[in-house]
Amino acid sequence: MFIVNRYRKLFVIIVCVMLGNLGAFAAPPERIFVTNERDDSVSVIDGQTNTVIATIAIGKRPRGIGISPDGKEAYVAISEDNAIAVFDPQTFAVLRTFSSGDDPETFAVHPNGNIYISNEEDAKASVFNPITGELIAEIKVGIEPEGVAISPDGTRVIVTSESTNMLHVIAVPEHTIVSNILVGARPRAATFNQSGKIAYATSEISGEVKKVDIASGEIIAKMPLADDRAKPKDILLSADGSKLYVAGGRANQIFILDESTLEILHTVPVGKRVWGLALSKDGSLLYTTDGVSNQVSVIDTKQFTVVATIPVGKFPWGIAVYP
Amino acid sequence: MRSIRRSLRAVFLTTLCSAAGVNAESAEIVITYIGATNTAAYLGVQQGLAEANVQGEFLGTQYRLIAVSSLPAEDDIGIAIISAVSEPALRELADKFRDVPMLNVALNAATLREQCSENLFHIGPSDTMLADANQQWQQKMPGSTARAQTWHKSFRKYAAGQLNSRFSKRFSRPMNDDAWAGWAAMKLLADTVVRRPSMTSRELLIELQTNLAFDGQKGSDLSFRETGQLRQPLLLVDEGKIVGEAPVRGVAVPPNLDSLGSLFCAK
Repeated sequence: MFIVNRYRKLFVIIVCVMLGNLGAFAAPPERIFVTNERDDSVSVIDGQTNTVIATIAIGKRPRGIGISPDGKEAYVAISEDNAIAVFDPQTFAVLRTFSSGDDPETFAVHPNGNIYISNEEDAKASVFNPITGELIAEIKVGIEPEGVAISPDGTRVIVTSESTNMLHVIAVPEHTIVSNILVGARPRAATFNQSGKIAYATSEISGEVKKVDIASGEIIAKMPLADDRAKPKDILLSADGSKLYVAGGRANQIFILDESTLEILHTVPVGKRVWGLALSKDGSLLYTTDGVSNQVSVIDTKQFTVVATIPVGKFPWGIAVYP
Repeated sequence: MRSIRRSLRAVFLTTLCSAAGVNAESAEIVITYIGATNTAAYLGVQQGLAEANVQGEFLGTQYRLIAVSSLPAEDDIGIAIISAVSEPALRELADKFRDVPMLNVALNAATLREQCSENLFHIGPSDTMLADANQQWQQKMPGSTARAQTWHKSFRKYAAGQLNSRFSKRFSRPMNDDAWAGWAAMKLLADTVVRRPSMTSRELLIELQTNLAFDGQKGSDLSFRETGQLRQPLLLVDEGKIVGEAPVRGVAVPPNLDSLGSLFCAK
Protein backbone atom coordinates (compact mmCIF):
# COMPACT_ATOMS: atom_id res chain seq x y z
CA MET A 1 0.00 0.00 0.00
CA PHE A 2 2.77 2.33 1.02
CA ILE A 3 4.66 1.49 -2.15
CA VAL A 4 1.60 1.97 -4.32
CA ASN A 5 1.08 5.38 -2.81
CA ARG A 6 4.65 6.35 -3.54
CA TYR A 7 4.30 5.25 -7.14
CA ARG A 8 1.03 7.06 -7.47
CA LYS A 9 2.72 10.27 -6.33
CA LEU A 10 5.55 9.77 -8.81
CA PHE A 11 3.03 9.07 -11.57
CA VAL A 12 1.20 12.30 -10.77
CA ILE A 13 4.48 14.24 -10.85
CA ILE A 14 5.45 12.75 -14.21
CA VAL A 15 2.06 13.53 -15.73
CA CYS A 16 2.26 17.06 -14.40
CA VAL A 17 5.70 17.61 -15.89
CA MET A 18 4.51 16.21 -19.24
CA LEU A 19 1.41 18.39 -19.21
CA GLY A 20 3.52 21.39 -18.28
CA ASN A 21 5.81 20.79 -21.23
CA LEU A 22 2.84 20.17 -23.47
CA GLY A 23 1.33 23.47 -22.34
CA ALA A 24 4.53 25.32 -23.08
CA PHE A 25 4.69 23.67 -26.48
CA ALA A 26 1.06 24.44 -27.36
CA ALA A 27 1.14 28.11 -26.37
CA PRO A 28 4.36 29.97 -27.20
CA PRO A 29 5.15 32.73 -24.72
CA GLU A 30 3.36 36.00 -25.44
CA ARG A 31 5.40 38.82 -26.85
CA ILE A 32 4.44 42.45 -26.52
CA PHE A 33 5.54 44.83 -29.27
CA VAL A 34 5.87 48.52 -28.39
CA THR A 35 6.55 51.36 -30.86
CA ASN A 36 8.92 54.02 -29.52
CA GLU A 37 7.96 57.28 -31.20
CA ARG A 38 11.24 59.11 -30.51
CA ASP A 39 13.61 56.16 -30.91
CA ASP A 40 12.47 54.97 -34.35
CA SER A 41 12.27 51.48 -32.87
CA VAL A 42 10.03 48.67 -31.64
CA SER A 43 10.77 47.10 -28.24
CA VAL A 44 9.97 43.39 -27.93
CA ILE A 45 8.89 42.30 -24.44
CA ASP A 46 8.79 38.67 -23.30
CA GLY A 47 5.40 38.25 -21.62
CA GLN A 48 6.71 35.70 -19.11
CA THR A 49 9.75 37.55 -17.83
CA ASN A 50 8.50 41.13 -18.47
CA THR A 51 11.84 42.08 -19.95
CA VAL A 52 12.83 43.58 -23.29
CA ILE A 53 14.44 40.79 -25.32
CA ALA A 54 15.00 42.66 -28.58
CA THR A 55 14.80 46.10 -30.17
CA ILE A 56 13.92 46.46 -33.84
CA ALA A 57 15.07 49.47 -35.93
CA ILE A 58 11.81 50.14 -37.76
CA GLY A 59 11.69 53.62 -39.37
CA LYS A 60 11.00 57.26 -38.53
CA ARG A 61 8.46 58.15 -35.83
CA PRO A 62 6.72 54.80 -35.38
CA ARG A 63 3.24 55.06 -33.88
CA GLY A 64 0.31 52.71 -34.68
CA ILE A 65 0.96 48.94 -34.64
CA GLY A 66 -1.12 45.89 -35.57
CA ILE A 67 -0.77 42.19 -36.36
CA SER A 68 -2.16 40.30 -39.36
CA PRO A 69 -5.07 37.91 -38.66
CA ASP A 70 -2.89 34.88 -39.49
CA GLY A 71 -0.18 36.11 -37.12
CA LYS A 72 2.50 36.02 -39.80
CA GLU A 73 3.18 39.74 -40.07
CA ALA A 74 3.21 42.83 -37.87
CA TYR A 75 2.60 46.34 -39.23
CA VAL A 76 3.91 49.66 -37.93
CA ALA A 77 2.93 53.15 -39.13
CA ILE A 78 6.23 55.00 -39.60
CA SER A 79 4.77 58.48 -39.75
CA GLU A 80 7.73 60.52 -40.95
CA ASP A 81 8.52 57.98 -43.66
CA ASN A 82 4.87 58.20 -44.84
CA ALA A 83 4.82 54.41 -44.89
CA ILE A 84 3.89 51.18 -43.17
CA ALA A 85 6.76 48.90 -42.14
CA VAL A 86 6.17 45.15 -42.05
CA PHE A 87 8.13 42.83 -39.74
CA ASP A 88 8.09 39.13 -38.88
CA PRO A 89 6.74 38.77 -35.32
CA GLN A 90 8.73 35.56 -34.80
CA THR A 91 12.16 36.49 -36.19
CA PHE A 92 11.76 40.31 -35.77
CA ALA A 93 13.21 40.78 -39.27
CA VAL A 94 11.88 43.83 -41.16
CA LEU A 95 10.37 42.37 -44.33
CA ARG A 96 9.34 45.42 -46.37
CA THR A 97 7.68 48.83 -46.26
CA PHE A 98 4.94 50.26 -48.43
CA SER A 99 3.77 53.80 -49.05
CA SER A 100 0.64 54.73 -47.09
CA GLY A 101 -0.11 58.38 -47.87
CA ASP A 102 0.88 61.36 -45.72
CA ASP A 103 1.74 60.96 -42.06
CA PRO A 104 0.03 57.68 -41.11
CA GLU A 105 -0.69 57.60 -37.38
CA THR A 106 -3.19 54.95 -36.37
CA PHE A 107 -4.75 52.05 -38.23
CA ALA A 108 -6.68 48.86 -37.60
CA VAL A 109 -6.30 45.43 -39.20
CA HIS A 110 -9.50 43.97 -40.69
CA PRO A 111 -10.29 40.23 -40.24
CA ASN A 112 -9.78 39.92 -44.03
CA GLY A 113 -6.21 41.18 -43.68
CA ASN A 114 -6.64 44.69 -45.13
CA ILE A 115 -5.63 47.67 -43.05
CA TYR A 116 -7.64 50.86 -42.49
CA ILE A 117 -5.53 53.98 -41.95
CA SER A 118 -6.52 57.50 -40.94
CA ASN A 119 -4.67 60.19 -42.96
CA GLU A 120 -4.71 63.17 -40.63
CA GLU A 121 -3.55 65.82 -43.12
CA ASP A 122 -5.89 64.80 -45.91
CA ALA A 123 -9.25 64.33 -44.13
CA LYS A 124 -9.60 60.79 -45.46
CA ALA A 125 -9.28 57.16 -44.51
CA SER A 126 -7.38 54.74 -46.77
CA VAL A 127 -7.70 51.00 -47.16
CA PHE A 128 -4.59 49.03 -48.11
CA ASN A 129 -3.80 45.44 -48.92
CA PRO A 130 -0.61 45.08 -46.89
CA ILE A 131 0.57 42.05 -48.88
CA THR A 132 0.68 43.91 -52.19
CA GLY A 133 0.81 47.47 -50.83
CA GLU A 134 -2.13 48.27 -53.10
CA LEU A 135 -4.49 51.12 -52.20
CA ILE A 136 -7.97 49.58 -52.30
CA ALA A 137 -10.17 52.54 -51.37
CA GLU A 138 -10.18 56.08 -50.02
CA ILE A 139 -13.04 57.42 -47.95
CA LYS A 140 -13.57 61.15 -47.38
CA VAL A 141 -14.04 61.83 -43.66
CA GLY A 142 -13.94 64.87 -41.35
CA ILE A 143 -10.97 67.06 -40.44
CA GLU A 144 -8.03 65.46 -38.62
CA PRO A 145 -9.14 61.82 -38.68
CA GLU A 146 -7.52 59.82 -35.89
CA GLY A 147 -8.84 56.63 -34.27
CA VAL A 148 -9.83 53.57 -36.29
CA ALA A 149 -11.91 50.63 -34.99
CA ILE A 150 -13.31 47.58 -36.79
CA SER A 151 -16.37 45.60 -35.68
CA PRO A 152 -15.70 41.94 -34.76
CA ASP A 153 -17.62 40.71 -37.84
CA GLY A 154 -15.77 43.16 -40.09
CA THR A 155 -18.87 44.83 -41.57
CA ARG A 156 -18.34 48.25 -39.94
CA VAL A 157 -15.35 50.52 -39.48
CA ILE A 158 -15.33 53.63 -37.29
CA VAL A 159 -13.00 56.52 -38.02
CA THR A 160 -12.97 59.39 -35.52
CA SER A 161 -12.37 62.91 -36.82
CA GLU A 162 -10.84 65.05 -34.13
CA SER A 163 -11.57 68.53 -35.41
CA THR A 164 -15.03 67.65 -36.75
CA ASN A 165 -15.99 65.94 -33.44
CA MET A 166 -17.56 62.85 -34.93
CA LEU A 167 -17.49 59.14 -35.47
CA HIS A 168 -17.87 58.15 -39.11
CA VAL A 169 -19.37 54.68 -39.49
CA ILE A 170 -18.18 53.05 -42.73
CA ALA A 171 -19.76 49.95 -44.30
CA VAL A 172 -17.47 47.16 -45.51
CA PRO A 173 -17.05 46.10 -48.30
CA GLU A 174 -18.95 49.05 -49.83
CA HIS A 175 -16.65 51.64 -48.23
CA THR A 176 -19.44 54.18 -47.94
CA ILE A 177 -20.29 56.19 -44.83
CA VAL A 178 -23.57 54.96 -43.35
CA SER A 179 -23.74 57.36 -40.42
CA ASN A 180 -21.98 60.24 -38.71
CA ILE A 181 -22.32 60.53 -34.95
CA LEU A 182 -21.43 63.74 -33.10
CA VAL A 183 -19.52 63.14 -29.86
CA GLY A 184 -17.47 65.29 -27.45
CA ALA A 185 -14.63 67.60 -28.47
CA ARG A 186 -11.62 65.92 -30.10
CA PRO A 187 -12.53 62.22 -30.30
CA ARG A 188 -9.33 60.17 -30.22
CA ALA A 189 -10.17 56.49 -30.16
CA ALA A 190 -13.11 54.12 -30.41
CA THR A 191 -13.84 50.43 -29.92
CA PHE A 192 -16.80 48.14 -30.62
CA ASN A 193 -18.56 45.76 -28.24
CA GLN A 194 -18.62 42.06 -29.07
CA SER A 195 -21.88 42.24 -31.04
CA GLY A 196 -20.64 45.21 -33.07
CA LYS A 197 -23.85 47.09 -32.34
CA ILE A 198 -22.41 49.43 -29.71
CA ALA A 199 -19.26 51.54 -29.80
CA TYR A 200 -17.39 53.50 -27.15
CA ALA A 201 -15.31 56.59 -27.88
CA THR A 202 -12.95 58.80 -25.92
CA SER A 203 -12.98 62.59 -26.36
CA GLU A 204 -9.71 64.22 -25.42
CA ILE A 205 -10.81 67.80 -24.77
CA SER A 206 -14.17 67.15 -23.18
CA GLY A 207 -12.40 64.46 -21.09
CA GLU A 208 -15.17 61.92 -21.43
CA VAL A 209 -16.23 58.53 -22.73
CA LYS A 210 -19.38 58.14 -24.82
CA LYS A 211 -21.33 54.99 -25.57
CA VAL A 212 -23.21 55.04 -28.88
CA ASP A 213 -25.74 52.82 -30.62
CA ILE A 214 -24.35 52.25 -34.11
CA ALA A 215 -27.66 51.71 -35.87
CA SER A 216 -29.53 54.72 -34.47
CA GLY A 217 -26.56 57.01 -33.84
CA GLU A 218 -27.94 57.71 -30.37
CA ILE A 219 -25.64 58.47 -27.44
CA ILE A 220 -26.69 55.86 -24.85
CA ALA A 221 -24.43 56.96 -22.02
CA LYS A 222 -21.58 59.34 -21.28
CA MET A 223 -19.13 59.69 -18.44
CA PRO A 224 -16.71 62.51 -17.66
CA LEU A 225 -13.47 61.18 -16.22
CA ALA A 226 -12.87 62.17 -12.63
CA ASP A 227 -9.69 64.15 -13.23
CA ASP A 228 -9.36 67.55 -14.91
CA ARG A 229 -6.05 66.53 -16.43
CA ALA A 230 -7.60 63.47 -18.04
CA LYS A 231 -7.11 63.61 -21.78
CA PRO A 232 -8.31 60.14 -22.58
CA LYS A 233 -6.85 58.32 -25.53
CA ASP A 234 -6.97 54.55 -26.05
CA ILE A 235 -10.04 52.54 -25.06
CA LEU A 236 -10.43 48.75 -24.87
CA LEU A 237 -13.14 46.31 -23.84
CA SER A 238 -12.24 43.64 -21.26
CA ALA A 239 -12.08 40.01 -22.47
CA ASP A 240 -15.46 39.19 -20.87
CA GLY A 241 -17.02 42.37 -22.28
CA SER A 242 -18.07 43.71 -18.88
CA LYS A 243 -15.56 46.54 -18.44
CA LEU A 244 -13.82 49.26 -20.40
CA TYR A 245 -10.20 50.28 -19.96
CA VAL A 246 -9.41 53.92 -20.75
CA ALA A 247 -5.92 55.43 -20.96
CA GLY A 248 -6.12 58.74 -19.07
CA GLY A 249 -3.27 60.63 -20.78
CA ARG A 250 -2.01 63.38 -18.47
CA ALA A 251 -4.08 62.06 -15.57
CA ASN A 252 -1.36 59.36 -15.41
CA GLN A 253 -3.86 56.64 -14.64
CA ILE A 254 -6.06 54.00 -16.21
CA PHE A 255 -9.80 54.33 -15.69
CA ILE A 256 -11.81 51.12 -15.47
CA LEU A 257 -15.47 51.66 -16.35
CA ASP A 258 -18.56 49.51 -16.18
CA GLU A 259 -19.47 48.68 -19.79
CA SER A 260 -23.17 49.14 -19.23
CA THR A 261 -23.39 52.37 -17.22
CA LEU A 262 -19.87 53.76 -17.85
CA GLU A 263 -19.58 54.19 -14.07
CA ILE A 264 -15.93 54.47 -13.00
CA LEU A 265 -15.21 51.32 -10.97
CA HIS A 266 -11.47 51.70 -10.39
CA THR A 267 -8.51 53.86 -11.25
CA VAL A 268 -4.99 52.49 -11.50
CA PRO A 269 -2.04 54.92 -11.33
CA VAL A 270 0.59 54.26 -14.02
CA GLY A 271 3.44 56.32 -15.54
CA LYS A 272 3.23 59.74 -17.12
CA ARG A 273 1.12 60.49 -20.23
CA VAL A 274 -0.43 57.07 -20.73
CA TRP A 275 -1.61 56.63 -24.33
CA GLY A 276 -1.70 53.05 -25.63
CA LEU A 277 -3.41 49.90 -24.32
CA ALA A 278 -3.28 46.19 -25.15
CA LEU A 279 -4.65 43.06 -23.45
CA SER A 280 -2.99 39.67 -23.04
CA LYS A 281 -4.74 36.87 -24.97
CA ASP A 282 -6.59 35.62 -21.89
CA GLY A 283 -7.44 39.16 -20.77
CA SER A 284 -5.75 38.78 -17.38
CA LEU A 285 -3.10 41.44 -18.05
CA LEU A 286 -3.43 44.97 -19.42
CA TYR A 287 -0.31 46.59 -20.92
CA THR A 288 -0.05 50.39 -21.09
CA THR A 289 2.44 52.69 -22.86
CA ASP A 290 3.42 55.46 -20.45
CA GLY A 291 4.78 57.96 -23.01
CA VAL A 292 6.76 60.43 -20.91
CA SER A 293 7.96 57.77 -18.43
CA ASN A 294 9.47 55.66 -21.25
CA GLN A 295 7.93 52.52 -19.81
CA VAL A 296 5.22 49.91 -20.15
CA SER A 297 3.06 49.17 -17.11
CA VAL A 298 1.53 45.72 -16.62
CA ILE A 299 -1.81 45.68 -14.78
CA ASP A 300 -3.49 42.63 -13.24
CA THR A 301 -7.07 43.03 -14.47
CA LYS A 302 -8.55 41.15 -11.49
CA GLN A 303 -6.65 42.95 -8.73
CA PHE A 304 -6.48 46.33 -10.53
CA THR A 305 -2.85 46.72 -9.52
CA VAL A 306 0.37 47.30 -11.43
CA VAL A 307 2.38 44.07 -11.24
CA ALA A 308 5.39 45.21 -13.28
CA THR A 309 6.87 48.22 -15.05
CA ILE A 310 9.19 47.63 -17.98
CA PRO A 311 11.59 50.30 -19.27
CA VAL A 312 11.39 50.54 -23.08
CA GLY A 313 12.52 53.18 -25.66
CA LYS A 314 11.72 56.89 -25.80
CA PHE A 315 8.04 57.87 -25.92
CA PRO A 316 6.37 54.47 -26.21
CA TRP A 317 3.18 54.98 -28.25
CA GLY A 318 1.54 51.93 -29.82
CA ILE A 319 1.35 48.45 -28.32
CA ALA A 320 0.26 45.01 -29.55
CA VAL A 321 0.28 41.53 -28.02
CA TYR A 322 1.41 38.50 -30.07
CA PRO A 323 0.21 35.89 -30.81
CA MET B 1 -53.63 63.81 -54.12
CA ARG B 2 -50.82 62.24 -56.03
CA SER B 3 -48.61 65.26 -55.53
CA ILE B 4 -49.31 65.21 -51.80
CA ARG B 5 -48.39 61.58 -51.68
CA ARG B 6 -45.24 62.32 -53.64
CA SER B 7 -44.22 65.12 -51.32
CA LEU B 8 -44.97 62.93 -48.32
CA ARG B 9 -42.73 60.31 -49.85
CA ALA B 10 -40.04 62.95 -50.29
CA VAL B 11 -40.36 63.93 -46.63
CA PHE B 12 -40.19 60.29 -45.65
CA LEU B 13 -37.06 59.77 -47.74
CA THR B 14 -35.46 62.90 -46.31
CA THR B 15 -36.21 61.65 -42.82
CA LEU B 16 -34.69 58.30 -43.63
CA CYS B 17 -31.59 59.95 -45.03
CA SER B 18 -31.31 62.23 -41.98
CA ALA B 19 -31.42 59.21 -39.74
CA ALA B 20 -28.58 57.72 -41.75
CA GLY B 21 -26.86 61.08 -41.56
CA VAL B 22 -25.98 61.15 -45.24
CA ASN B 23 -27.23 63.30 -48.11
CA ALA B 24 -29.90 64.77 -45.89
CA GLU B 25 -31.64 67.88 -47.12
CA SER B 26 -29.58 70.73 -45.72
CA ALA B 27 -30.65 73.01 -42.91
CA GLU B 28 -29.10 76.42 -43.59
CA ILE B 29 -27.52 78.44 -40.81
CA VAL B 30 -26.73 82.08 -41.51
CA ILE B 31 -24.00 84.03 -39.75
CA THR B 32 -23.21 87.70 -40.41
CA TYR B 33 -19.70 89.14 -40.50
CA ILE B 34 -19.41 92.89 -40.07
CA GLY B 35 -16.14 94.60 -40.91
CA ALA B 36 -13.48 94.94 -43.58
CA THR B 37 -12.99 91.89 -45.79
CA ASN B 38 -9.37 92.61 -46.78
CA THR B 39 -8.10 91.51 -43.36
CA ALA B 40 -6.49 88.42 -41.85
CA ALA B 41 -9.47 88.12 -39.47
CA TYR B 42 -11.82 87.76 -42.43
CA LEU B 43 -9.61 85.06 -43.99
CA GLY B 44 -9.76 83.27 -40.64
CA VAL B 45 -13.56 83.44 -40.72
CA GLN B 46 -13.49 81.98 -44.24
CA GLN B 47 -11.25 79.13 -43.04
CA GLY B 48 -13.64 78.47 -40.17
CA LEU B 49 -16.57 78.53 -42.59
CA ALA B 50 -14.94 75.95 -44.86
CA GLU B 51 -14.30 73.66 -41.88
CA ALA B 52 -17.82 74.14 -40.52
CA ASN B 53 -19.18 73.12 -43.90
CA VAL B 54 -17.05 69.95 -43.93
CA GLN B 55 -18.80 69.01 -40.69
CA GLY B 56 -22.14 70.26 -42.02
CA GLU B 57 -21.86 68.09 -45.11
CA PHE B 58 -21.87 64.97 -42.94
CA LEU B 59 -24.81 66.13 -40.85
CA GLY B 60 -27.03 67.92 -43.36
CA THR B 61 -26.25 71.40 -42.09
CA GLN B 62 -25.00 74.21 -44.30
CA TYR B 63 -23.42 77.45 -43.12
CA ARG B 64 -23.78 80.68 -45.09
CA LEU B 65 -21.82 83.81 -44.27
CA ILE B 66 -23.14 87.27 -45.05
CA ALA B 67 -20.30 89.82 -45.09
CA VAL B 68 -21.20 93.50 -44.69
CA SER B 69 -19.01 96.52 -44.00
CA SER B 70 -21.35 98.26 -41.57
CA LEU B 71 -24.47 97.88 -39.48
CA PRO B 72 -27.15 96.25 -41.61
CA ALA B 73 -30.39 98.17 -42.12
CA GLU B 74 -32.66 95.14 -42.04
CA ASP B 75 -32.83 92.89 -39.01
CA ASP B 76 -32.27 89.60 -40.76
CA ILE B 77 -28.73 88.90 -39.66
CA GLY B 78 -28.90 85.16 -38.95
CA ILE B 79 -28.08 83.37 -35.72
CA ALA B 80 -24.91 85.26 -34.72
CA ILE B 81 -22.65 88.16 -35.68
CA ILE B 82 -18.87 88.10 -35.98
CA SER B 83 -17.67 91.66 -35.53
CA ALA B 84 -14.50 93.39 -36.66
CA VAL B 85 -15.74 96.97 -36.15
CA SER B 86 -14.74 99.85 -33.86
CA GLU B 87 -15.79 99.98 -30.21
CA PRO B 88 -18.63 102.52 -30.64
CA ALA B 89 -20.04 100.56 -33.58
CA LEU B 90 -19.77 97.29 -31.66
CA ARG B 91 -21.65 98.79 -28.67
CA GLU B 92 -24.36 100.03 -30.96
CA LEU B 93 -24.68 96.56 -32.49
CA ALA B 94 -24.75 94.83 -29.12
CA ASP B 95 -27.55 97.14 -27.98
CA LYS B 96 -29.55 96.73 -31.14
CA PHE B 97 -29.43 92.90 -31.28
CA ARG B 98 -29.60 91.97 -27.61
CA ASP B 99 -30.54 88.35 -28.19
CA VAL B 100 -27.85 87.75 -30.81
CA PRO B 101 -24.38 86.53 -29.81
CA MET B 102 -21.84 89.11 -31.00
CA LEU B 103 -18.30 87.74 -31.37
CA ASN B 104 -15.59 90.41 -31.28
CA VAL B 105 -12.50 89.39 -33.27
CA ALA B 106 -10.80 92.78 -33.55
CA LEU B 107 -10.65 94.72 -30.27
CA ASN B 108 -8.33 93.89 -27.37
CA ALA B 109 -9.37 96.55 -24.84
CA ALA B 110 -9.85 95.14 -21.33
CA THR B 111 -12.31 97.95 -20.54
CA LEU B 112 -14.67 96.62 -23.23
CA ARG B 113 -14.67 93.20 -21.50
CA GLU B 114 -15.24 94.70 -18.06
CA GLN B 115 -18.55 96.17 -19.21
CA CYS B 116 -19.90 92.61 -19.26
CA SER B 117 -22.49 93.09 -22.03
CA GLU B 118 -24.53 89.91 -21.96
CA ASN B 119 -24.33 89.20 -25.69
CA LEU B 120 -20.68 90.21 -26.30
CA PHE B 121 -18.05 87.51 -26.64
CA HIS B 122 -14.37 88.35 -27.07
CA ILE B 123 -12.34 85.77 -28.98
CA GLY B 124 -8.84 87.27 -28.93
CA PRO B 125 -7.09 87.93 -25.60
CA SER B 126 -7.56 91.24 -23.78
CA ASP B 127 -4.54 93.53 -23.48
CA THR B 128 -4.30 92.65 -19.76
CA MET B 129 -4.16 88.92 -20.60
CA LEU B 130 -1.21 89.64 -22.90
CA ALA B 131 0.43 91.82 -20.22
CA ASP B 132 -0.05 89.13 -17.54
CA ALA B 133 1.47 86.51 -19.83
CA ASN B 134 4.48 88.79 -20.41
CA GLN B 135 4.85 89.37 -16.69
CA GLN B 136 4.68 85.66 -15.86
CA TRP B 137 7.34 84.99 -18.48
CA GLN B 138 9.59 87.74 -17.06
CA GLN B 139 9.36 86.10 -13.62
CA LYS B 140 10.65 82.87 -15.10
CA MET B 141 13.09 84.36 -17.62
CA PRO B 142 14.12 87.82 -16.35
CA GLY B 143 15.25 90.11 -19.16
CA SER B 144 13.77 87.93 -21.91
CA THR B 145 12.61 89.86 -24.96
CA ALA B 146 9.80 87.37 -25.70
CA ARG B 147 6.28 88.76 -26.05
CA ALA B 148 2.89 87.10 -25.70
CA GLN B 149 0.81 86.31 -28.80
CA THR B 150 -2.47 84.55 -29.49
CA TRP B 151 -1.08 82.27 -32.18
CA HIS B 152 2.03 81.58 -34.26
CA LYS B 153 2.65 80.14 -37.68
CA SER B 154 5.17 77.65 -36.30
CA PHE B 155 2.87 76.37 -33.51
CA ARG B 156 2.61 72.60 -33.98
CA LYS B 157 1.39 71.02 -30.72
CA TYR B 158 -2.24 70.09 -30.12
CA ALA B 159 -2.88 69.75 -33.87
CA ALA B 160 -2.04 73.48 -34.24
CA GLY B 161 0.32 72.39 -37.03
CA GLN B 162 -2.61 70.91 -38.96
CA LEU B 163 -4.60 74.16 -38.67
CA ASN B 164 -1.56 76.21 -39.75
CA SER B 165 -1.08 74.01 -42.76
CA ARG B 166 -4.78 74.08 -43.74
CA PHE B 167 -4.77 77.89 -43.55
CA SER B 168 -1.52 78.45 -45.41
CA LYS B 169 -2.53 75.97 -48.13
CA ARG B 170 -5.81 77.81 -48.69
CA PHE B 171 -4.55 81.40 -48.57
CA SER B 172 -0.80 81.11 -49.30
CA ARG B 173 0.02 83.09 -46.19
CA PRO B 174 0.70 82.17 -42.57
CA MET B 175 -2.04 82.25 -39.95
CA ASN B 176 -1.54 85.16 -37.53
CA ASP B 177 -3.33 86.26 -34.33
CA ASP B 178 -6.25 87.95 -36.11
CA ALA B 179 -6.72 85.05 -38.50
CA TRP B 180 -6.85 82.64 -35.56
CA ALA B 181 -9.51 84.79 -33.84
CA GLY B 182 -11.63 84.85 -37.01
CA TRP B 183 -11.27 81.09 -37.46
CA ALA B 184 -12.02 80.40 -33.79
CA ALA B 185 -15.15 82.58 -33.82
CA MET B 186 -16.65 80.75 -36.79
CA LYS B 187 -15.57 77.30 -35.61
CA LEU B 188 -16.88 77.63 -32.06
CA LEU B 189 -20.20 78.96 -33.36
CA ALA B 190 -20.58 76.02 -35.73
CA ASP B 191 -19.45 73.45 -33.13
CA THR B 192 -22.14 74.76 -30.78
CA VAL B 193 -25.00 75.25 -33.26
CA VAL B 194 -24.49 71.79 -34.75
CA ARG B 195 -25.72 70.16 -31.55
CA ARG B 196 -29.23 71.42 -32.36
CA PRO B 197 -29.42 73.32 -35.65
CA SER B 198 -32.93 74.58 -34.86
CA MET B 199 -31.75 76.56 -31.82
CA THR B 200 -32.53 80.28 -31.62
CA SER B 201 -29.97 83.07 -31.21
CA ARG B 202 -30.94 83.37 -27.55
CA GLU B 203 -30.45 79.63 -26.99
CA LEU B 204 -27.09 79.78 -28.77
CA LEU B 205 -26.05 82.66 -26.51
CA ILE B 206 -26.82 80.57 -23.40
CA GLU B 207 -25.04 77.52 -24.86
CA LEU B 208 -21.92 79.60 -25.54
CA GLN B 209 -21.96 80.97 -21.98
CA THR B 210 -22.56 77.68 -20.23
CA ASN B 211 -21.66 74.77 -22.46
CA LEU B 212 -18.79 75.57 -24.83
CA ALA B 213 -16.72 72.54 -25.92
CA PHE B 214 -13.85 73.87 -28.01
CA ASP B 215 -10.06 73.66 -27.83
CA GLY B 216 -9.04 76.17 -30.51
CA GLN B 217 -6.20 73.75 -31.42
CA LYS B 218 -4.50 75.05 -28.26
CA GLY B 219 -4.76 71.85 -26.19
CA SER B 220 -7.14 73.13 -23.46
CA ASP B 221 -10.87 73.08 -22.90
CA LEU B 222 -11.70 76.74 -23.59
CA SER B 223 -14.71 78.58 -22.12
CA PHE B 224 -16.09 82.10 -21.74
CA ARG B 225 -15.72 84.16 -18.58
CA GLU B 226 -18.56 86.25 -17.18
CA THR B 227 -16.88 89.18 -18.94
CA GLY B 228 -17.39 87.41 -22.28
CA GLN B 229 -13.65 86.82 -22.64
CA LEU B 230 -12.55 83.46 -24.10
CA ARG B 231 -10.19 81.76 -21.64
CA GLN B 232 -7.14 80.57 -23.56
CA PRO B 233 -3.44 79.79 -23.35
CA LEU B 234 -1.03 82.26 -25.02
CA LEU B 235 2.32 81.79 -26.72
CA LEU B 236 5.59 83.52 -25.82
CA VAL B 237 7.44 84.37 -29.02
CA ASP B 238 10.99 85.64 -29.28
CA GLU B 239 12.63 86.53 -32.60
CA GLY B 240 10.00 84.60 -34.53
CA LYS B 241 10.31 81.48 -32.38
CA ILE B 242 7.93 80.06 -29.78
CA VAL B 243 9.87 79.92 -26.50
CA GLY B 244 7.06 79.19 -24.05
CA GLU B 245 3.39 79.06 -23.23
CA ALA B 246 1.32 81.02 -20.71
CA PRO B 247 0.01 80.34 -18.10
CA VAL B 248 3.72 79.82 -17.28
CA ARG B 249 4.13 76.62 -15.31
CA GLY B 250 5.43 77.15 -11.77
CA VAL B 251 4.74 80.90 -11.94
CA ALA B 252 1.05 81.35 -12.76
CA VAL B 253 -1.29 82.10 -9.84
CA PRO B 254 -3.80 80.51 -9.89
CA PRO B 255 -2.05 77.75 -11.87
CA ASN B 256 -4.62 77.84 -14.68
CA LEU B 257 -6.06 79.95 -17.50
CA ASP B 258 -7.58 82.40 -15.02
CA SER B 259 -4.10 83.67 -14.13
CA LEU B 260 -4.31 85.70 -17.34
CA GLY B 261 -6.40 88.90 -17.35
CA SER B 262 -9.31 90.07 -15.26
CA LEU B 263 -12.26 87.91 -14.26
CA PHE B 264 -14.48 90.68 -13.01
CA CYS B 265 -17.01 93.17 -14.33
CA ALA B 266 -16.50 96.89 -13.65
CA LYS B 267 -18.77 98.07 -10.85
